[in-house]
Amino acid sequence: MHIPDGYLSPLTCIATYAAALPLWVIAFKKLKSQLDETTLPLIASLSALSFIIMMFNIPIPGGTSGHAVGASLIAILFGPWVASLCVSLVLLIQALIFGDGGVTTFGANALLMAFAASFSSYYVFEALKTRTFAPYVSGWVGVVCASIVLTLFLGIQPIIAVADGQPLYFPFGFALTFPAVVGSHMLFFGVVEAIFTGIAYRYIVKNRIYKGANV
Amino acid sequence: MKKIFYPMLILFVLIPLGLISENPAWAEWENEYYQEVLGFIPKGIENAFKIKALAPDYTIDGLNDVLAYYLSGMLGVALIFGIFYLLGKKLAR
Repeated sequence: MHIPDGYLSPLTCIATYAAALPLWVIAFKKLKSQLDETTLPLIASLSALSFIIMMFNIPIPGGTSGHAVGASLIAILFGPWVASLCVSLVLLIQALIFGDGGVTTFGANALLMAFAASFSSYYVFEALKTRTFAPYVSGWVGVVCASIVLTLFLGIQPIIAVADGQPLYFPFGFALTFPAVVGSHMLFFGVVEAIFTGIAYRYIVKNRIYKGANV
Repeated sequence: MKKIFYPMLILFVLIPLGLISENPAWAEWENEYYQEVLGFIPKGIENAFKIKALAPDYTIDGLNDVLAYYLSGMLGVALIFGIFYLLGKKLAR
């Protein structure tokens, strides 16, 4: 799900950074207001957990692989802004230290894996709150929403950046990208995120590690 | 905190499972893939800006893949805790 450097046109890179920047500023303020002696170690741990969960590359039929994100769990416990910032931090470390996801595409990757996943997860959880399956659905929706935004960023490339009839950046349009990306996330990686979010949320609430949503 | 630390530790020990897949993620292919499928490599992808990562794709030169994966995991986790620790210190002031 990490868009590498060279896959998005410069215009897309600039636009996604421009969109992400004010969101990061708001998210940082929200995080600051929530950090205290009890929340800080837990938020740090859940961020580390997101990093660890993304290291589990899961092979799927069709010769590709993918992974869960871990954004939903933070979003339903600490709200979508805190989750977005935590996952953005994870993505930044992945891009700079491990070359996983580009530097020029960091804004785009944050918009999909951090913001799209966190906000969609959070609102779904809020809507279903009283149901026991809420965290499961929330995790699934988060990853699927992220994959939809990923399709959008990739799919517009062959439309907006072509020279001499050849695509300059990501070459495949929506018709190919949508089923491959959104389909695989609906069938596999969304399910993994659902199971992870559901089990982890239950564990955290049951053991009274954290009392639950507090935004 | 112990209660969250132990399950995390178990997950961490299992991370080499993430190496089972030799397939790249969709849209994270090597450049040769485009040459094969399209007959050319899109110019932007071919000439992409690439940073020199410390441990590219969680590998470390001359080190066994599993060991490098563990070390990468430790480094990532340590950086995340380090940043939050500094943030906490800064905010406490």
